[in-house]
Amino acid sequence: MVKAVKHYRPPGKKKEGNAAKFVTRSQALKQLQINLPLFRKLCILKGVTPREPKKKFKGTHQTYYHVKDVAFLHHEPLLEIHREIRVHERKIKKAEAKKNLERAKRLREKTPKPKIDRIIRQRYPRFVDALGELDDCLSMVHLFAALPAAESKKIDIECVHKCRRLAHEWQAFISRTHKLRKAFVSVKGIYYQAEVEGQKITWLTPHSLQQVVSDDVDVITMLNFLQLYEPLLGFVNFRLYHSINLKYPPILDPRLEALAADLYALSRYANANVNAVPSVVNSEASQVAESEQGDAKPKRDDIEHEKSELRLAQLQHQLPTNEPGALMQLVEEAASEEEVDQDTRECKNLFKDLKFFLSREVPRESLLFVIPAFGGIVSWEGEGAPFQESDQSITHQVCFSYYLLGLGDLLYLMMSTHLAIGFNFKIVDRDSQGHKFLSREYVQPQWVFDSVNARIILPTVDYMVGRIPPPHLSPFIDYEEEGAYIPDYAKTIKQLQAAARKEVLPLPGVGKEDLEDPQNILVEGIMDRAEANQAAQRKQKMMMLEQQYHNDLKKELQGVTYGKMDSNVDKQTSTGEESTDNAQQKDDADDMGTLMMSRKKRKLLEAMKISNERKQAKNDLIKQRKKKIDEAHKKN
Amino acid sequence: MSPKKQNEEDPHVSDSDTDSTYEDSSAADDDDGDSFGSPSESESEPAAGDDSEPDEHGESDSSGLHQEESDSSEDEVAPRNTVGDVPLHWYDDEPHIGYDIKGKKIKKKDKLDKLGSFLANVDDSKNWRKVYDEYNDEEVELTKDEVKLVRRLLKNRAPHADFNPYPDYVDWFKWDGAKHPLSNAPEPKRRFIPSKWEAKKVVQYVRAIRKGLITFDKPKEEDGPYLLWEDDSGLTEKSNHLAYIPAPKQRLPGNEESYNPPLEYIPTQEEINSYQLMYEEDRPKFIPKRFTSMRSIPAYENAMKECFERCLDLYLCPRVRKKRLNIDPESLKPKLPSRKELKPYPTACYIEYKGHEDAVTSISVEPSGQWIASGSSDGTVRIWEVETGRCLRRWDVGEAVNCVAWNPLPDVHILAVSLGQDVLILNTHLGDDEEQKKIKELLSVDTSTPSDDSGNSATSVRWLQDDKHGGIKLKFFKTVTAVEWHRKVLIHHLSKKLTQKLPFKLHGLAVRSTFHPSRSIFFICTKQSVRVYDLLKRKLIKKLDTGLREASSIAVHPGGDNLIVGSKEGKLCWFDMDLSSKPYKTLKCHPKDINNVVYHRSYPLFASCSDDCNAYVFHGMVYSDLNQNPLIVPLEILRGHTSSDGRGILDCKFHPRQPWLFTAGADKLIKLYCH
Repeated sequence: MVKAVKHYRPPGKKKEGNAAKFVTRSQALKQLQINLPLFRKLCILKGVTPREPKKKFKGTHQTYYHVKDVAFLHHEPLLEIHREIRVHERKIKKAEAKKNLERAKRLREKTPKPKIDRIIRQRYPRFVDALGELDDCLSMVHLFAALPAAESKKIDIECVHKCRRLAHEWQAFISRTHKLRKAFVSVKGIYYQAEVEGQKITWLTPHSLQQVVSDDVDVITMLNFLQLYEPLLGFVNFRLYHSINLKYPPILDPRLEALAADLYALSRYANANVNAVPSVVNSEASQVAESEQGDAKPKRDDIEHEKSELRLAQLQHQLPTNEPGALMQLVEEAASEEEVDQDTRECKNLFKDLKFFLSREVPRESLLFVIPAFGGIVSWEGEGAPFQESDQSITHQVCFSYYLLGLGDLLYLMMSTHLAIGFNFKIVDRDSQGHKFLSREYVQPQWVFDSVNARIILPTVDYMVGRIPPPHLSPFIDYEEEGAYIPDYAKTIKQLQAAARKEVLPLPGVGKEDLEDPQNILVEGIMDRAEANQAAQRKQKMMMLEQQYHNDLKKELQGVTYGKMDSNVDKQTSTGEESTDNAQQKDDADDMGTLMMSRKKRKLLEAMKISNERKQAKNDLIKQRKKKIDEAHKKN
Repeated sequence: MSPKKQNEEDPHVSDSDTDSTYEDSSAADDDDGDSFGSPSESESEPAAGDDSEPDEHGESDSSGLHQEESDSSEDEVAPRNTVGDVPLHWYDDEPHIGYDIKGKKIKKKDKLDKLGSFLANVDDSKNWRKVYDEYNDEEVELTKDEVKLVRRLLKNRAPHADFNPYPDYVDWFKWDGAKHPLSNAPEPKRRFIPSKWEAKKVVQYVRAIRKGLITFDKPKEEDGPYLLWEDDSGLTEKSNHLAYIPAPKQRLPGNEESYNPPLEYIPTQEEINSYQLMYEEDRPKFIPKRFTSMRSIPAYENAMKECFERCLDLYLCPRVRKKRLNIDPESLKPKLPSRKELKPYPTACYIEYKGHEDAVTSISVEPSGQWIASGSSDGTVRIWEVETGRCLRRWDVGEAVNCVAWNPLPDVHILAVSLGQDVLILNTHLGDDEEQKKIKELLSVDTSTPSDDSGNSATSVRWLQDDKHGGIKLKFFKTVTAVEWHRKVLIHHLSKKLTQKLPFKLHGLAVRSTFHPSRSIFFICTKQSVRVYDLLKRKLIKKLDTGLREASSIAVHPGGDNLIVGSKEGKLCWFDMDLSSKPYKTLKCHPKDINNVVYHRSYPLFASCSDDCNAYVFHGMVYSDLNQNPLIVPLEILRGHTSSDGRGILDCKFHPRQPWLFTAGADKLIKLYCH
């Protein structure tokens, strides 16, 4: 029996090897019978990338695709849909040319839409896969959420709104489940890192300022990506909300939405729904509990009223899903509470029992996201805020109860529990006039980010309003790496962290007055530690010097004996030359090793050495600058 | 007054006055829906109505005007020409332009020439108003009013200033208060019963829908998200697609990207200026900046661009998995046995033998190890005492010495020296009397034998007695650069005073040759390969492929199975002849030409010396077990010589019994390195 030919092979096409496995882009276009923009779009949606054949049979300037990749695109239903779209567009054009506007409109509405869900499932068979590649998706969605909608750039307002909504939903989930790990304010924007299902997801949100769409950017390509990313994030959000038993898409309080406090509206939605389950303690509930003791009763009623309204609206949507499984939900919640890992617990408790108030001119959106993610309660200046700036007595109570009971460690004592984040002098001036706000600390927003990254509550002295805050360091740098440059402030933070971990208790001799100013103690402690460290270093240095001296002596002795042994040795050898000889010998020893290596390994070693040297040079440059700065300081 | 407005007003009118003519048209409009005909109709109607009266008005006006004007014009100029409406060029060649009313010819006027007309133009300020009337052959001067009229016409306006094209509509015919309708006919029945034709149309539609001829648009599906990944825990579905390589994640930002980096991260102004001098690709893309508060951070201008570039990377870059080695570079180096365990080997210079006045080209150690002979390019051969560095003897041979070699027999102290085209065999006068006698016998040339021999080989070599130095002189016809070798390799039997020519054909230029230490095997090194011959059987045993560009030296291990070849590109090849004809190991140690390689006779040592003024000492252990590969460990780099006109160490030799190395340099020195 003759074996059937599996695929038709055109004449001249190679049977095996690179020429059989790969096709150039233009060949692929010809095969798929599509134009380049559509091909690009398909590649973006399907995740097909060019390949690098070992031998580029059509020249190095060509782009090569794998034959299987092209076949993969060939069998793609999207291709058919795009053909239909093209036919449809022709019809619309014809209708418009005949001035049949109604038909054109109807046709436009009926334009077939490509479905992305199947492709998403195909690209990310498991949820974890999708999470693993969510970085670019999140960055892009956040960027588009900040873009101005422009007709000329083909960015329509709906797309921007959708991105905004998706971004907020994602942030609300992260914040609600306390999955945020790191936040870093850079010049490019704010970087966040969250850990969801073991995947570290880092994304960049631009600063909430007007972004400019420059002309050298091909927006169409980005929109193609967005066409994939938008539904992807939608599906991911759905799955995540589903995992914490929330309905998706969430129904938001229209009043808050109108105030553009989407994130808060979302978090309220999340909290309100989980509130139905009594076992969960959340910030909202505690806030309500606190406010019960205070004199802010009318406000509380207000809140309650609002909430009940909102809940009613939500329950209507949720009836079929929630009612039968109420008990199940409870169990699940309890279980999920337990399985929460150490990291999450730590994050959750960082700002526990701290109340924040945001003044004007602070990055509100970012702080509204970060503070609740680490367990804090936050309000802001403006309409729709959960509590007002004058809200004071409640917090005092909480603060002192901690203090008298002696439960809190030093760090908690250090901080009064109510913090306001002010920014400029004006606010401070006004606030200082009012006698009532003495109990709070006024800090700059950087304090929040630094505390979050250090996972401890940092002393607020340096972050006082009106001061230039200490440097903001990247949490993504691994200082453990050999030869890495460690800035001073990183060292300070490390010491503070160590102090927090050991829970340094106040000395018995310290009176109550001192306790009231616990920062001093801590600072002193740090100073002591630093001094001790310095002393130890000095000692080590001395030891080193001594040893070196001994070694030198030994060498000298040996040199003398050599001299005696042989009369013809050059008499000009001196100790200085000896030392250079030593260095020479060391070099020789290095060379000996490299002599025996294969060429491949030797090249690799050289490359490694060069890259290490480059790194070292960078560090050296920074160290040099540091030295100069220090000297300048000393002179002053 | 748009037609649409008119349309809207229409029903109003019809409501009030049932019998109006408008009513029908509006009703028809309603029936038609938005047929394109209707607006135009409605437009035409009022337009007609509008036009009618102003037209009359205008006509009367214009006619009046016309009359006046025509009156005046007739008064002024009588129509002279009566030719009628004929092409005027018919009269081009005639002297007249036509006929007046009485039938007389009207003569053409004399025309001004160009210059005259121009001058007239200039003189007459009102000339621009003059128009030449071709028909009457005269110049007409336009009045001011006429000019105005022309101007208005040019602007597409009504010619007369007083004419108003859009007069206010005057509704002359008012129905208000009129007692009687326009038509007294009773309301027709059709106004009160449902339309039969409409009912028929509805039935038609209903049937069509039932038959499925008319389909409705489906309600729009909301394709919102759903639970896409329901249960993927047990998913082991292997995709039939190629292996997917996830895109690499973007680099995480470091301290320098912070909005408030530590001061030391911010480059100084000088450094920023220096970036301008760098190449485009070397220039840092991001320059750290410092802002005192978060409020003052501006929008990042490249945000969009960077996102776009990432997009490009994602879909245009081929993805290749590359292993990134995150190891200590030191761990790449092979584990070598400690050098201390491999002692003794030469490490430091102990004695320098000074005396030569030019580069020492060759040295040779006497088999007992007591004497060392050296030849220099200053034309002297010297013998030194090894331990003291004393110069024992000195021959002035008058020509640059290429090579010196001791006789390997310990009791025959003969030295072979090659210089130019000659090889001298010298008696060194060492040893006791008996030995001296033997040597003298050996060195005396029997003149008869060479004459016999000259028949065969005198063409290349002649054996002569050299009285001056007390030795034998061998004359070659070509330059000899070393005692052991030549292009046509000759073997000299010293005892028979005979020279034997090798019967082998050489491929390429012979560079060096050497004997097997125990068997009668002969190695010849050409530039690219080493050939091994058996002298007794007179045949080629083996050909070793060095892979070098230009070999320069060769040495055989005392065991005889291993040899090293040094090359001019600084490479050293170790051959294990039992293993393969390819090098077992190639070491690239010298940056410049290797001049000599040498094995120690008893210790497992070998050395190489090169023009870069370094000599390398290696440990080269050969095991008797055939399964075990030779162990090569680099031990020491011996420095000390200085370079003179590009040449470094020219020769090196081991002491026969001690692990000592002699090196002869181009800097006129011989050095002894001891352990």
